[in-house]
Amino acid sequence: MIKITELQKFYRTEEVETVALNNLSIHVKAGEFVAVMGPSGCGKSTLLNIVGLLDDLDNGSYLFNSIEVAKFNERKRSDLRKHNIGFVFQSFNLIDELTVFENVELPLIYTKVPAAERKKRVEEVLEKVQIMHRRNHFPQQLSGGQQQRVAVARAVVNNPKLILADEPTGNLDSNNGNEVMQLLTELNEQGTTIVMVTHSEHDARYADRIIRMLDGQVLMETVG
Amino acid sequence: MIRNYFKTAWRNLKEHKFHTFVNISGLAFGLATAILLLLWVQHEKSYDRFHKDFSRIHRFTAHLDANTVWEGVPGPLAIYAQSLPEVEGIVRINEWNGQVLATEDRSTVLDGFTTAYVDSTFLSLFNFELLKSRPEQLFPDPYSIVLTESTAKKFFGDDDPLGKVLQFRGDNLTVTGLLHDFPDNSSLAFDAILPMAHYAQRFTADGGNGQWKTIDVDMGSYSFTTFVKLRDGAHPEVVGKKFTQLYKDARNGESTVQFNLQPLADMHLVSADGNNAAARMVQIFLLIAIMVLAIAAVNYINLTTARALVRAREVGIRKVVGASKVQLFLQFIVETALLFCFALLVAVGLIVVLLPLYNDIAGKQLHFSLSNMEIWKVIGYSALGTLLAAAIYPALLLSGFQPLQVMKGKMASGVGVTLLRKALVVFQFAISMVLIVATFVISRQMTYMRKLDLGYDKSYVFSVALPDDAVEHIEAVKNELRNHPGIVNVALSDMYDITNMGNATGDLEWPGKPVNSSLIIAQSSIDKDFIPTMGIQLLEGRNLTGTAADSNLYVVNEAAVREMGLTPPYVGTPISFHDRPGTIAGVVKDFNFKSLKEKISPLLFFHWYDGSMLYVRTTAAEASNAIKAVEQQYQKYAGDSPAPFKYNFVDQQFEAKYRTDQRAGLLFNIFAGIAIFISCLGLLGLSTYTVRQRVKEIGIRKVLGASVASIVQLLSAGSILLVVLAVVIASPIAWWVMNTWLDDFAFRIDIQWWMFVLAGGAALLIALLTVSWQAIRAAVANPVESLRDE
Repeated sequence: MIKITELQKFYRTEEVETVALNNLSIHVKAGEFVAVMGPSGCGKSTLLNIVGLLDDLDNGSYLFNSIEVAKFNERKRSDLRKHNIGFVFQSFNLIDELTVFENVELPLIYTKVPAAERKKRVEEVLEKVQIMHRRNHFPQQLSGGQQQRVAVARAVVNNPKLILADEPTGNLDSNNGNEVMQLLTELNEQGTTIVMVTHSEHDARYADRIIRMLDGQVLMETVG
Repeated sequence: MIRNYFKTAWRNLKEHKFHTFVNISGLAFGLATAILLLLWVQHEKSYDRFHKDFSRIHRFTAHLDANTVWEGVPGPLAIYAQSLPEVEGIVRINEWNGQVLATEDRSTVLDGFTTAYVDSTFLSLFNFELLKSRPEQLFPDPYSIVLTESTAKKFFGDDDPLGKVLQFRGDNLTVTGLLHDFPDNSSLAFDAILPMAHYAQRFTADGGNGQWKTIDVDMGSYSFTTFVKLRDGAHPEVVGKKFTQLYKDARNGESTVQFNLQPLADMHLVSADGNNAAARMVQIFLLIAIMVLAIAAVNYINLTTARALVRAREVGIRKVVGASKVQLFLQFIVETALLFCFALLVAVGLIVVLLPLYNDIAGKQLHFSLSNMEIWKVIGYSALGTLLAAAIYPALLLSGFQPLQVMKGKMASGVGVTLLRKALVVFQFAISMVLIVATFVISRQMTYMRKLDLGYDKSYVFSVALPDDAVEHIEAVKNELRNHPGIVNVALSDMYDITNMGNATGDLEWPGKPVNSSLIIAQSSIDKDFIPTMGIQLLEGRNLTGTAADSNLYVVNEAAVREMGLTPPYVGTPISFHDRPGTIAGVVKDFNFKSLKEKISPLLFFHWYDGSMLYVRTTAAEASNAIKAVEQQYQKYAGDSPAPFKYNFVDQQFEAKYRTDQRAGLLFNIFAGIAIFISCLGLLGLSTYTVRQRVKEIGIRKVLGASVASIVQLLSAGSILLVVLAVVIASPIAWWVMNTWLDDFAFRIDIQWWMFVLAGGAALLIALLTVSWQAIRAAVANPVESLRDE
């Protein structure tokens, strides 16, 4: 599903050029659950953003489902993103002014799904993440774990082929963290590809494969 | 999707109440002010345009010389019209103010009516609504009168006025028609119209004007306001020239008068002599309306872009979950539109509440009704214009954010955005500064005019139009009044209003008069008491004597001897006035007998006949007793059915002349206040933004030991610098604008440097107060909070 070859990414300021990703190549197959680990600043979040088409690369090739997307413009990337990729962030990133239901509904609105269909799908996915009873609450009325479940629901409501999770348990206690990991595992079992960046060895154990990075390069891979 | 936009927008407005309040109040005040102004502008521009063929109707103006233009023209012009193919119709109007009308039995006698003798073509040129009768049978004979609804009601209540009889100047006239009251946006407005045939008959019966015995041949009297309706395609300049030539031919080539045609639609705003001060006022008000809207729009842009920092995260999330730039752009446009709807509602509420007050200040009768399409036009243009100006930039800015950056909190506060916001603040304050200076200048000029030494003493003098019988016994009347303890002096003149004397002539000869002289001199009949009563200063020679010798003595003012080119001593100079030889007996100091917008022009006093205007000087304490005493004398000679007794204080007449200017001054104060208020809201937005952007810096500085004062200074300096820049830019503009305005006044103040200093100081102080509020809040906050936030 994802085939990245010889990827380079630099961050430039007026005086310094920092290499964030250095000739990195990875391959993720459809249906895989991959964890990316490494110390702070090793480039794992940058990699995730490039995979999620939120950031562009400076050199190299990125094939998404065998299509070269490295040179896609903003509009094409946005299009590809909204139909294929769901995101889960450490800080949940829910919109405070929208209710749980409305937050989850948002991706469907942007992909122009009809209202009745939207309602059905949002309710389904809220049931799945067991937050249906809180559907009319606003994010700030929920616990961190609940907020992350909503974020996961939003990430999967469009049935994306790929979910990118950036330290999804980073802001959660261990109980809530485990629940979220359980949820991701279930999604993976149902066929969704997952790439997750994490610091936690415990969380990484849920993955099929762990990629360890250092200084913008892949240090080693272990199969779980 | 739209529902979602509205929902988010609504919750956003609710959530951020302060921001919403500031934004809505800025827009609402801006819109309300602009709409009120535009209503006024629209009303001013609507004058005389309700006539179907208004664009083809023109008024004659008579240009006697470069400086003298009269609105009246001689009667025969209507006769010449018959020979000109370009002319479709012509109508003469002879207007009389302050007229008395009475029922046949004189049970009701009322005065103060404006009546007009009109040609029978009146209603074929003009579209005034005739409620009863038909245009062709309007005046079946010279003894007809057509009343307006209000006039008819005063005499006959709800009875049908047709066929009823009214007395006017001793004649019984039958009511033959009923007109709807003249619209308030009509330059022509009368209480009754009468047939020109009636006037013509009286003119001939009274012996005519010298050699001319009918109004159709009288070349000498410029007493008809005359309108001509041209055929399609006719050129007014050409037609004017033709009339000029026809008149010249009729006077055997001895005429230098030029007749021009002024479009009917211009009549309200441009006076006959081409003075377009009124039109300029309308333009200025239009400009202010646009400025106020611009300030309001700028405000919205400032506040919205300042809040972009807060909204950025939301934009990022929306983009990540699939929103396209267009979708986000639309979302922000919807938000602005929603906010606008609220602002518009508040604005409409403000207008409804403020309209009576506004009408009072502006001296207008504007109506605000939402069923009026014109009102919707004004609202539509203002709202749409401001919406477009205010919505697009913030929407583009917000929808253009890169999701990754903004979600990380690394919003690029681009140099361009910051610079634009600063430029907008400078723009707002520059406008405010111009308005503050304008306020100073106008109020100083008004005070200057009120306190100006007019050359006579206008306080505690009132005038009364005496009945004919009282004039015949004037010495007895004056003696009676002089004995009254409350009366200082009494005098007689034919001057209806000393603050605005209109009566002038060119019929003056003197030794050495240049052949091509076009001197026009104001003329007034006075008695020997007039000059002392009014406190006019005699510079040379003596006053009139009150004897028969007065009939060939003339008193002139300084401007007269100057423009006649006489050399001192002036007394004894032989002159001939209206073919009556005499000598200059005295010269008085120049005094203002016209608008202060005009220079003092030549004036001549004579005494061949008694005027009917009694001028009475009294004192503050005795004024009411003096009025009573004059009224007693009035009633004594008024006969059985007198016109109501009326008096006018000269200082009030004077004040009335400048009411429009005073109103403009007051409106300026208000507009300046609103503009500054809205600008401050904008500045508040900017300072909120600046403070928010520097929260971490403030925290670090405080941890390192910075004082509150030093932080306030740090945060305020930038905004204050912008205001200083605005003051510098606005000062020359304000000077130019106000100097141009003052040029309309012959008696004017000079613009002083301290006005700019004071205005700039005021702008700075207000700005400082606005900014420091935010700055102090930030400076006293616990630094731990701000650092933890990061």
